[in-house]
Amino acid sequence: MNAAPAPHRRGLAQRLSEAQATIEALLSGQIDAVVDSKSATPVLLSRAQDALRQSEEQHRQIVEATTDGIMKVDALEKIVFVNGRLAEMLGYEAQQMIGMDVSTFMSASARASMVNTFARRPVGQDTLDTVLRHKGGTAISVNIAASPLVDGEGQRIGTLGMVRDVTERNKLQSQLMVSDRMASVGTLAAGVAHEINNPLAAVLGNLDYVAEILGGPARGASTSANPGRSDAWLIEEIRGPIGDALEAAARVRLIVRDLKIFSRSPSDEPKSRVNIQAVMESSLRMAWNEIRHRARLVKLYGVVPNVEANEGRLGQVFLNLIVNAAQALPEGHAEQNEIRVSTHVCDGRVVVEVSDTGAGISPEIIGRIFDAFFTTKGVGVGTGLGLAICHRIITDLDGALTVESTVGKGSTFRVVLPIPRPEAIEEAAPAVEPVPSPGRRGRILVVDDEELVLRSVKRLLSKEHDIVAIAKAKAALALCAGGESFDLILCDLMMPDMTGMDLHSELSRVAPEQASRMVFLTGGAFTVKASSFLADQAQEHLDKPFSPTTLRAVVRRHVQ
Amino acid sequence: MAKTKPKKPGAKTGLLLRLYVAGNAPNSLRAVANATAICEEYLTARYELEVIDLLKHPNRALADGIIVTPTLLRLRPLPVQRVIGNLSDTNQVLLTLAGQ
Repeated sequence: MNAAPAPHRRGLAQRLSEAQATIEALLSGQIDAVVDSKSATPVLLSRAQDALRQSEEQHRQIVEATTDGIMKVDALEKIVFVNGRLAEMLGYEAQQMIGMDVSTFMSASARASMVNTFARRPVGQDTLDTVLRHKGGTAISVNIAASPLVDGEGQRIGTLGMVRDVTERNKLQSQLMVSDRMASVGTLAAGVAHEINNPLAAVLGNLDYVAEILGGPARGASTSANPGRSDAWLIEEIRGPIGDALEAAARVRLIVRDLKIFSRSPSDEPKSRVNIQAVMESSLRMAWNEIRHRARLVKLYGVVPNVEANEGRLGQVFLNLIVNAAQALPEGHAEQNEIRVSTHVCDGRVVVEVSDTGAGISPEIIGRIFDAFFTTKGVGVGTGLGLAICHRIITDLDGALTVESTVGKGSTFRVVLPIPRPEAIEEAAPAVEPVPSPGRRGRILVVDDEELVLRSVKRLLSKEHDIVAIAKAKAALALCAGGESFDLILCDLMMPDMTGMDLHSELSRVAPEQASRMVFLTGGAFTVKASSFLADQAQEHLDKPFSPTTLRAVVRRHVQ
Repeated sequence: MAKTKPKKPGAKTGLLLRLYVAGNAPNSLRAVANATAICEEYLTARYELEVIDLLKHPNRALADGIIVTPTLLRLRPLPVQRVIGNLSDTNQVLLTLAGQ
């Protein structure tokens, strides 16, 4: 085989034309490999191209698989590239967005803050929280990590943005904050309820005692227990104010009870048979301050069976609906507006309606009012959670919460709840307390660190029984351990030093017969230990404040 | 090893062609097919076509002053002529092979 002539021996013209041909072949894609004369290693173009294609494909897959939106904009803020996720986030097709101005979905202020960010830190990455506009008009909370794109000379030629949808994260955060706040309000309410209940028990007990001495229920009562008393004028004079005080104290008692209901978490208070009307009344009392300046309140209670529900949660729903109804009305025109609550049975279900004569809800938003975080109230006024929570509570009860509204006429929220199966129907309404019969004179030990409660209980019972009142559980223990015997021990549950529970366990050891005669007085804020104690032992207990009638009924059961 | 396809072996006076390719790369396969077809169809004279894989014999490519593949060399008769590319332009290939 003849040796090929060395390249340098070829003529210049020929080499030029060969170079030309090489370039043309390269440009037309007819070349597979280039020889690297230094390393003698051929560089395979097709392989390089494959590798490039594979690498591109890999990057494309990453860019498309990421849960973040990615966009590249040029110096004129026109979209050069978006991945599918960003297009989806904003409601477009990716291809549609190429060439789009970022102002289409980004507010001027958001763009300005991004520019400011770059002015502050011209290189590297910076993030900002902002809001983008979906094609449909809704706002999307996002976090954008943006990096400036610069050319070889350091000129900014555009921006690369990684866009993360933080709507869900924000929702969770606010939900957490709201439930935190609810929890602390609940704890606070329980504490306040406990603090109020002790003195309130004394106030009510003493007022009842005085009212009894004066003769029956103070107001409107015409009979007197002591008709023969000469100072009838004084009695009549005192009876009015005492009656008013008693009524006011009774109202305080209801308010405190409402507070306790609302502070309980669902797990604390399992479902039970609930009297709709009582719950509604309780909610109306709590919302009364909102209602009275804005509307007349009309109550149309039909006869409805009790429903299976959690009293606190149901009260929360009613309260929410009532407050919403009130807030739909302007303040100060109470005579012109009306809030109507009604109950009736329809198609075998209990229907509770709360209506207002307010502005109504426009058709555009009525479909969203049960969505969490949807609110028409200003920032800081509404969380947008109220109706969403109501909806969930009612749905959890196999019920339905619906709304009907006419703009300019008002809205009606309707709660529909199932009627429990007959075998589980509530026992008959509590019988009227039997007229107290004197019975035998018993010996009763009262243990409470609250002197006021001690004195009031003593005052109420000492006519019929012998009362030993002691402020310290340790003293009571010493008494029983020393051989003293009682028909009944009324004992406060929560006391400093030694609690009612401690006393019970000590007595069980030294005087078991006495321990079995304990009835606990409870003020409301239970510790976990206290509530499980009461539940486990099936311990009889009396919630403070208690009425004299209830107290006497308990005493009668034990002293016979 | 170089592939040799002597159409009419032993011919010292006939056309001597050498085709440099890069393995089974697409343009290389096309160039081999085109070169064979052109030779069979148009070269009535005796010729010899040697196909050399650049990946296996890089040094031979260097010695022949090959820069890219596929490249077809006409080594005989002199002067050496080259056709760069996958040889799909038959006229161009024939013109070069006939060139003086």
